[in-house]
Amino acid sequence: MVEADNKILLDWDALEVGETFEKYEYVLTQEMIDTYRKGVMDLEAGFPTIAHKVDVKQYNAKYRDNGSVNARCAFYCYSPPIAGNKITVRAWITDKYLRRGKNYIVTEAVSVDEDGRLIDRVITHELKQPSEVGKKWGG
Amino acid sequence: MGGLNRNYQIDDDITPIVKEMTQEAINLFEGSAGESGPSQFTDEATAKEVLGTEGTVASGRMSLTFAIEMLRRYFGADVFNHSGMVDLRFLRPVRPGDTITFSGKISGISKEANGSKISVAITAQNQKGDTTGVGQGSAIVPNAYLPPED
Repeated sequence: MVEADNKILLDWDALEVGETFEKYEYVLTQEMIDTYRKGVMDLEAGFPTIAHKVDVKQYNAKYRDNGSVNARCAFYCYSPPIAGNKITVRAWITDKYLRRGKNYIVTEAVSVDEDGRLIDRVITHELKQPSEVGKKWGG
Repeated sequence: MGGLNRNYQIDDDITPIVKEMTQEAINLFEGSAGESGPSQFTDEATAKEVLGTEGTVASGRMSLTFAIEMLRRYFGADVFNHSGMVDLRFLRPVRPGDTITFSGKISGISKEANGSKISVAITAQNQKGDTTGVGQGSAIVPNAYLPPED
């Protein structure tokens, strides 16, 4: 993982679609699951991995920018993760586009647990000029 | 919660779910992933700096989670947790104090190898009637959960 001090200033024009990030690994604990379920007010919520934002974690570790706003997100469920298992995430830049003068980056990630079970896939479209939405939202 | 035997028809309504958004819920959601630093979700000053808003906003991923819950309850966990998906666009912010209603309507049914793909049009609205998110979701319902064909 790239240290915070060594982050690269995002150059949206130079960012390459297809760039794949270093794999990210973490252990999903029962406490994480319980906290997530309490936060979303759903004791049967099966995919606490959503809150880990793994599709942008390695992007954020490598690049610095002006922040972002989640404009669109797709989540595919394959197998609910099991507490105590290590989860390995592969993430990459799957697209970038310019719409109404605003820059977007699309990241994608696939999570697999230590037993080789496919957990989920997430695709996120992030607007890279977050202050623009603040203006639109009226403060 | 298992798979639910059901006869699916285009334009069938999905049972809505309603969520009362609080800062505590947002903090728990963000904290569940070990994020403890200030962010636009948990800290008003950061939200002002990054977004220019007067208060915090909820992550779009919370709305995504709620849409997933709605479809999981409708299709059953056995089905949705292994074949379900949701794709949402976030149109307006969801803030602490908002009450968000997620609703859906079956928009498509297509045959798959071992069942049927049921597609759902999803809408999220706040207490003012403003649409905060729209999108679609789906699940592949195995033949065993479908009524026998004539």
